[in-house]
Amino acid sequence: MNLTKHWAGQLGDYAIDLAWSPDGALLAAASAAGPIVLFAAADGARRHELPGHESGANALAWSPEGAPALASGGQDGAVKFWDGATGQHTATAALGAGWVEHLAWGPALAAACGRKLALLGPDGAIRHALPDAPKTFTALAWRPSAPLLAAAYFGGVRLLEAGTGALKKEFPYNNGIQALVWSPEGRWLVSGNQDPSVHLWIPDEEMELQMSGYETKVKHLAFDRSGRWLATGGGRDACVWDCAGAGPEGRAPAMFPHDAPVCALAFQHRHGLLATAADDGTVMLWSPDRRQPLRATVKMTQPPTKLAWSPDDGQLALGSAQGAVYVLKCENG
Amino acid sequence: MIPVTVLTGFLGAGKTTLLNRILTEQHGRKLAVIENEFGEVGVDHQLVISGEEELFEMNNGCICCSVRGDLIRILGRLLKRKDKLDGILIETTGLANPAPVAQTFFTDEEMKAAYRLDAIVTVVDAKHVLTHLDAGDESVKQIAFADVILLNKTDLVSPAELAGLEERIRRINAVARIHRTQNAGVPLDRVLDVGGFNLERAAELDPKFLEPDYPFEWAGVYSLPAGDHELVIGHEGVEHDHGHDHGHEHHHHHGNENELDVALLPVSPATPAHRAALQTDEPSSPSPFAAQETEALRAFSGPEMKLRPGDPCRPGPGLLRLLLEQGNGRYPLRVDQAGLYGVFEGCGEEPLHILVNGQPVKPGWQRDYHHTHSHDDAVASVGIQQAGQLDPQKLNAWISELLRTQGGDIYRMKGVLDVKGKDQRLVFQGVHMLFDARFDRDWAPGPRMNTLVFIGKNLDRAKLTEAFQACLT
Repeated sequence: MNLTKHWAGQLGDYAIDLAWSPDGALLAAASAAGPIVLFAAADGARRHELPGHESGANALAWSPEGAPALASGGQDGAVKFWDGATGQHTATAALGAGWVEHLAWGPALAAACGRKLALLGPDGAIRHALPDAPKTFTALAWRPSAPLLAAAYFGGVRLLEAGTGALKKEFPYNNGIQALVWSPEGRWLVSGNQDPSVHLWIPDEEMELQMSGYETKVKHLAFDRSGRWLATGGGRDACVWDCAGAGPEGRAPAMFPHDAPVCALAFQHRHGLLATAADDGTVMLWSPDRRQPLRATVKMTQPPTKLAWSPDDGQLALGSAQGAVYVLKCENG
Repeated sequence: MIPVTVLTGFLGAGKTTLLNRILTEQHGRKLAVIENEFGEVGVDHQLVISGEEELFEMNNGCICCSVRGDLIRILGRLLKRKDKLDGILIETTGLANPAPVAQTFFTDEEMKAAYRLDAIVTVVDAKHVLTHLDAGDESVKQIAFADVILLNKTDLVSPAELAGLEERIRRINAVARIHRTQNAGVPLDRVLDVGGFNLERAAELDPKFLEPDYPFEWAGVYSLPAGDHELVIGHEGVEHDHGHDHGHEHHHHHGNENELDVALLPVSPATPAHRAALQTDEPSSPSPFAAQETEALRAFSGPEMKLRPGDPCRPGPGLLRLLLEQGNGRYPLRVDQAGLYGVFEGCGEEPLHILVNGQPVKPGWQRDYHHTHSHDDAVASVGIQQAGQLDPQKLNAWISELLRTQGGDIYRMKGVLDVKGKDQRLVFQGVHMLFDARFDRDWAPGPRMNTLVFIGKNLDRAKLTEAFQACLT
């Protein structure tokens, strides 16, 4: 297994989000200060520099289908839409006075702005303004291949229908939720929590589990393609739970150790590698299925702010606090 | 770590004036200001974020475990910058309890690692704060929590009112730095990045505040000849201006209005230091009559002897309970030996006179004590200052137990402690049930001193001191 530098680019400020276009041709990178750069995946050429959000950008999401369309959320309370091919600003949806910190593009673009939540069309039109939550929304995740959105806030997780915006179900959880993820087949819904723990629901079976014992709040979650391995942050180890069958209860998790708190995690889309990064700048690749899971280690000069696998799993993009964007090639050999 | 200043104060106290000064003055710091949802300042070159108070009750709605979720989110986002900020200023709403804001910095690892709660700054309106304090509302908490207090609008009150107000504030919070201001005019380095939690002023603590809460409110030492004199309570038949006569208009009596507890204790032997203390009005510390104060403390906690008007009395150990008639009473006082005699009075508001040959005698030395002891719900400070090395396990066990059982009543706790086997000072601070302790720099050469301060309700000084002493090795 080999990780080699492919190209590097620069943003003006902290790389707050990275997103590959679905065709893998572009890497969008948002700077915390506001501007967004579209890099060519092949060589790192700066295709377009988008003004982004004047008071700061927070999140990026590509439309999963059709012509390449990028959405960005900012501290101006707006979601902006950009044409990936031309770099043109195509629409703006103003959601409120809060920050737009969470975007998830599934059957519609879900955007959270403070306690408000809206489902938007690619033209920026608000299809559904969903009921406000009692506290700020902190995570969004579409159920894979289903028109169902999970939205977390302090107090619980709501399941909302894409077509009507109707509230289908609400799971109470009396603590802060930092992250949400669905397993790829949509069986498990998992939250990473402030308390610090990981909570798992099987919505169709009315079953739930709580896994605790973390050092710190759990901000990072990732499922592998098979739905078996759930990787979680929340300390110096990436803690990987086996979710096969009845789930992780009673099973010891695999602990993938780092020397510093884990700051990012990402599983490949179609293959089984897990990338983990820690505050000391170390990036590691793991195969949870193997007896010797560690596959590669790279040391960066700064801790990655984000990890993102390209759609074909051949490239791993990393952002830095100083605004650098690195793309590494991942090759077997 | 980035210093965080929390700005509290009632509406109209001058918080916005101070905030505007911080935002517009050239102080060379890149700050982010998180204003409350009703904030009204907006300035270009500093980062102003409007927060909306979002309480996260981490443990069944207990206020001691509540944190500000919005701050965790906003402060987390503020770390995502290429150039770190020089400081954060958090403005709370006038009615806010500062506890959840402070607790946010003790519970969340990310906040703890990146930020340092530098100081809680409370702006107080000198003209109106007494009304709030008397109403017993959140302003008491805002003063109790403060590291720095701006006593603002001093131009609207008289110097005497101001002194009284400062005394009242001191009784609640003995360790905050108090600055008297008009238009919130204070050098900004007294407000920003002051290291308020660090108890650097430990050595300057008001000595009064390190003393026990005496069960008496006033004491006077008289030089009396041998003979038959008279102890007189009340104004009846006594020329004024000679005895102990406060003349306060609002007479707040504790307990039965027609009972007054008094201890009459000989100062024996009277030393030249005692006699010198009678010749000067300068307060001195430690008290020249500390031995008598301790004896009076014992007398006030022992059994009492009841005296009706006309019943004779003598100086000696024990407590006298004078039964008054409409606030008045005269008691023959037999003194066998000429000398100095201390009179300790349970309620300092009662006019008390000693008549020798029918003429009132003036006490040569007198002192007022804290008036808070009889209000159990009053917010007050207890300080402990003592040398000696602490056993870390015992200390930990004591503090854990204390916070578990009394955390709701303890608003603030701060300490600089000498722990056995450590060259560094253990600096710790707490808010309700949460606390943070770390070893900071080495002790300076020379003697070390443990300093511990509690601010809160129902604090039992004797019990706290005893428990602290039990942790010494």
